[in-house]
Amino acid sequence: MAYKANVLVVDDEQPIADLISFSLTSHGYQVSLAFDGQDGVKKAGAEKFDLVIMDIQMPNMDGITALGELKKIDPELEVIIATGHGTLSTAVQSLRKGAFDYLHKPFEIKELIAVVERALEKRRFNDITKAIFSTIKPDELPRVIIDSAMRILKADEAFLALSGRDAKLSVAVSEGLDSEGERISRLDLCARMREQIVGGGGGVTLVEDPAADKRFSDIAGINGIKSAMLLPLIENNRLAGIIGLNRRDGEEYFAENDIQRARIFSSLVNLALRNANLYRQLQETQSQLIQAEKMSALGQLAGGLAHEINNPLSGILGLTQLVLETLPAGTQSHQDLTDIEKAVFRCKKIITSLLSFARQEKTRMEPVSMNEVIEETLTLCDRQMELKRVKIERRFGEGLPLVTGDFQQLMQVFLNLFTNARDAMPEGGSITVSTRLAGHWVEASVADTGAGIPEDILGRIFDPFFTTKPVGKGTGLGLSVCLGIINKHNGSISAHSAPGSGTTFIIRLPA
Amino acid sequence: MTKKVLIVDDEDMVRNYVRRALSSRGWTVSEAVNGAQALAMMGKETFDAVICDLKMPDMRGEEVVKNIKISNPGLPVIVITGSVSNISDPIVPGVSVEGFLIKPFGIDEIRDLLEKVTKPQAERS
Repeated sequence: MAYKANVLVVDDEQPIADLISFSLTSHGYQVSLAFDGQDGVKKAGAEKFDLVIMDIQMPNMDGITALGELKKIDPELEVIIATGHGTLSTAVQSLRKGAFDYLHKPFEIKELIAVVERALEKRRFNDITKAIFSTIKPDELPRVIIDSAMRILKADEAFLALSGRDAKLSVAVSEGLDSEGERISRLDLCARMREQIVGGGGGVTLVEDPAADKRFSDIAGINGIKSAMLLPLIENNRLAGIIGLNRRDGEEYFAENDIQRARIFSSLVNLALRNANLYRQLQETQSQLIQAEKMSALGQLAGGLAHEINNPLSGILGLTQLVLETLPAGTQSHQDLTDIEKAVFRCKKIITSLLSFARQEKTRMEPVSMNEVIEETLTLCDRQMELKRVKIERRFGEGLPLVTGDFQQLMQVFLNLFTNARDAMPEGGSITVSTRLAGHWVEASVADTGAGIPEDILGRIFDPFFTTKPVGKGTGLGLSVCLGIINKHNGSISAHSAPGSGTTFIIRLPA
Repeated sequence: MTKKVLIVDDEDMVRNYVRRALSSRGWTVSEAVNGAQALAMMGKETFDAVICDLKMPDMRGEEVVKNIKISNPGLPVIVITGSVSNISDPIVPGVSVEGFLIKPFGIDEIRDLLEKVTKPQAERS
């Protein structure tokens, strides 16, 4: 059988050691004995203990010294000092040295068990705090949170639901819930609990035997839940998610101390989620900085290179054309030189796009209407879209505030997005252009019905020279130029895609 | 009398094709490989136009153009360059030139532009 914890008892008086040992063993703990401080330190060095209960006055090494040694071996080891001749000063001294608590002999068994349980609870909390805070990868955090919640609150089932963009809760991770149906019934129960008990407010909420409670009994699939607990996760005064924990029939009801644990736990989780958020923001900022750095390095390189390449290129073009003038059309040589001429124009186009970075052109910022920018751009490419059987659907928000921007450059961005969308739909399709106000941003989205972008390349599409178009079709600079322009506007551009369901680009500019 | 144009560029290949493209259209083309040589030649001869590169080893093309414009304010100047990407870029601060071409440019582009900038004022559109 598994023990609740592994405890070391250190006392030079055998009868007392035996008594403690007996009491703990009968409460499900595994106990080892040591008869002085030195012996205790030696045993703690050889075996992993969760907890030590130790006398103060002992031969060879006293309890206070041994306490220091034990903490050196394992700083997280909890030590309870048990003393018969303890004065207040020794108690204070031991607490300063890191003891969890102290017991005055003679003590009652009940007292002993209570303090042992408290010490172990602290240890458990330490463990989960460590687990939660050492997990900063946002995608691993929900799993760690739920595993910890199960452990700390001894639940049979648990889930974490986070609110999405539409503020609707959906289960991010669950434990002990095997079917989608079960997860939905638990989520329904939680929604009803918030509504019925706290009126949508915060706070840990508890319900017993919900299936027999007429406020909840109509919810399908909640039979077998004995006790249900809900922990709200509040961020910036708004519900960011909930943790639901249930005990099934045959287990005990959640009790008052469980609610206390839950409160501490949910504040830990709130902190951890905020941490994870900050971490994600940090990473985003870092990658933006790296991107900016790359672009500026590329820009310098491009500026220098362009001159070096354009001179010989100009010679190739001019001389080719001079020879072309002397050749009759229709000959092989005439055809070959025409191909060379075309190749030069292709090179010229690539260099021109490349120079869009290097160009220290002043951006002309003025108040512009996002809808107008888009409408103007669409006028440019409407005919082209028609030819490619691409339908344009406009969903413009009305009464949007103006943004500060360079009309031409913003047009360049949208033109790029429209062209990419068109190329993503060789068989035709539709492009939905929407604008709306999203908080402090004016947001525009361009969604196509193309094949979508596989996840492994989605992260690279803004990289200079990254292209999936056939050689000669794209320079791989379009989107990186877009990113550069949007950055200059203090905005953001992002791409969302799932293979088979098209790609959506979202541009946000400060309103 | 044939019209005379001076082409200033350190790149042999560029001078070569520009000279041939223009002389086949009746222009007398002189060449200078750097700014100092260009200014020296202009002290001795009169030209109807100058085609000048912006980036040369001895003197920045901007300086050459400025000097030309100070001594011959009415002389049409075409600037050619390989290092900017857009006509709207300021070319020579404080000096306005009659024409501007980005390398690589074709023979017809330089022929047409030169004709345009050397037409008598009244005929220009």
